[in-house]
Amino acid sequence: MASPTPSSATETAPAPPAPRAPLTETIRVRLRAPARRRNTELGLLLFALALAGGALALVQLGALGHLAGTMMLLSGLLGLFAIAIHVALRVVAPDADPFVLPIAVLLNGLGIAEITRIDIAEGLVGWDAAGVRQIAWSAIALAGALAVLLVIRNHRVLLRYRYLAMLAAIVLLLLPFAPLIGKEVNGATIWIQVGPLSFQPGELAKIALAIFFAGYLMTARDSLSMVSVKVLGLRLPRPRDLGPILVIWALSMLVLIGQRDLGTSLLYFGLFLVMLYVATGRLSWVLLGVVLFGGGAFAASRVLPYVENRFAGWLDAFNPEYYDAFGGSYQLVQGLFGLADGGLIGTGLGRGHPGIVPLAESDFIVASLGEELGMVGLFAILALYLLFVSRGFRIGFTGQDDFGRLLAVGLSFVVALQVFIVVGGVTRVIPLTGLTTPFLAAGGSSLVANWVIVAILLRVSDSVRAQPRWVVEEGRS
Amino acid sequence: MSELTLLLLQIAFLMLLWFFVFVIVYSLRSDLFGQRAKRLPDRAAGTFPTSPAPAPAAAVADPAPSREAHRAPPLQSDATPRRLVITSGPREGMEIDLPSEQLTIGRSSESGLVIRDDYTSTHHARLMLWNDEWVVQDLSSTNGTLVGGEKIDRPTPVPERTPVTIGTTTFELRR
Repeated sequence: MASPTPSSATETAPAPPAPRAPLTETIRVRLRAPARRRNTELGLLLFALALAGGALALVQLGALGHLAGTMMLLSGLLGLFAIAIHVALRVVAPDADPFVLPIAVLLNGLGIAEITRIDIAEGLVGWDAAGVRQIAWSAIALAGALAVLLVIRNHRVLLRYRYLAMLAAIVLLLLPFAPLIGKEVNGATIWIQVGPLSFQPGELAKIALAIFFAGYLMTARDSLSMVSVKVLGLRLPRPRDLGPILVIWALSMLVLIGQRDLGTSLLYFGLFLVMLYVATGRLSWVLLGVVLFGGGAFAASRVLPYVENRFAGWLDAFNPEYYDAFGGSYQLVQGLFGLADGGLIGTGLGRGHPGIVPLAESDFIVASLGEELGMVGLFAILALYLLFVSRGFRIGFTGQDDFGRLLAVGLSFVVALQVFIVVGGVTRVIPLTGLTTPFLAAGGSSLVANWVIVAILLRVSDSVRAQPRWVVEEGRS
Repeated sequence: MSELTLLLLQIAFLMLLWFFVFVIVYSLRSDLFGQRAKRLPDRAAGTFPTSPAPAPAAAVADPAPSREAHRAPPLQSDATPRRLVITSGPREGMEIDLPSEQLTIGRSSESGLVIRDDYTSTHHARLMLWNDEWVVQDLSSTNGTLVGGEKIDRPTPVPERTPVTIGTTTFELRR
């Protein structure tokens, strides 16, 4: 086996799948190249942890004037969790992408720093402080990601459970309607509460939906992409193939009307539409979907008072009528004032007034960060998201199986769309919705869901790179 | 802490934040600008003795018996090619087993088959198995992909033993 097998030597078949490279080369590929990726990751991870720690220290220096030991200690412990994931990756996924983990860690750390800053402004300490709870949730989320990495050794296993994933998604979506545990907060029925813990099951539902869509589209893509009828020069799908898109449309309209949550509804439908487009490569699906959702949202804005309020507060935010109204544009406008106060380089961490904005630690974390880090800092954060999403698309692009490709693209697109919906809402590009900013915003369910996405992306990228590779290059020995 | 110190710390923090972004972008430069082409050394320099490629003559010179041999023990019932043999180019004679679903070809080190020369694009082409038939798709490469000498502009089936040319490398699919 140590020598390559020319074809004439395989005459006496059954030819075993002999390695086409000499033993030494195999060892080199196995040992050295993966370690290089992980070393890159370790360097970036330490850098990210230093930056996150620096942000927390600056927050305390700016707002309190001195360093507070407890928060630093807790965050340090969290840093150890992140390093534990890195060590686990060295063992269970040595070829995984080296950039995803440090980016997610840095975003999470910046979030914790800014949430702590708002706790200081509101005088919250101990378990009341959202920052402390955020650290606890981050620890749970990191442990969850670690568990996913350890349990799922091959992402194709998920393909087997695609219908189970669909069922899980529907159950998770309906859970807030269940008696006893369901809870309505600010008009939206998207929470469940068990004892002191509250959770948004819809966050996890998006992962389950991505798994189901990837599995379904993998088998259905041919019938959805090949067959078409031509109407007015546009290649439209056959009426009988419209079933799935109508089902998803109905589902997202149900979320819109039943749970009164515009953002989540948009997120699910957008996820399906993009995965459908990636699977079939047909623009007509996207056009159809945009028309369907646009029509639905327009009708909803006419009929449902809460959607109507959101639209009015968006289009005419500075009108005193909406500014003073309950549930009006006060929050949005205060966020804009905060961003304006931040200017180019910000007021400095811990030295702005982000606490004025209602829900500054969750829905408006972007405005808070924008105020204290300024446009320069906010764009750095957006660049981090861009890099994260581009890595995800990259993992999808180089994927070796359809399921993994669709899954990676779907999951990273969910993150991208969520960032767009939140940042667009806060900056008044689109109507404000109640979604969380991935990794940054206070909220356990969102953190857990996004870290599971990180784990799945790492797993898929490992299997991509673990594929055998052959190199044609003269002078290589 | 004076205002000035805090301002300087703030600016230093923002610079470090952007530095982090650019470190990642720098590590990704091959993704953004494509893999750097390596100038191929002269064929006369003769790296073949040290190269791990099988002897080129063996694969090309005597294909017929090999085919017979494969036919004799019916390993696979279908007629789908399962090997890719490089028939000309720097690694002439190299032979690889085709993966189960698809093989990406390009200069990127993430490709299934990495071809590093001046004429190959970062993501050049891919071979896909469609209904037990291998199909090659050109991924908008700069210099194109030739199947049987014809430049392709759409996914094209690759019959067994049809030369496919990418850059300076030509390969065939064989059973």
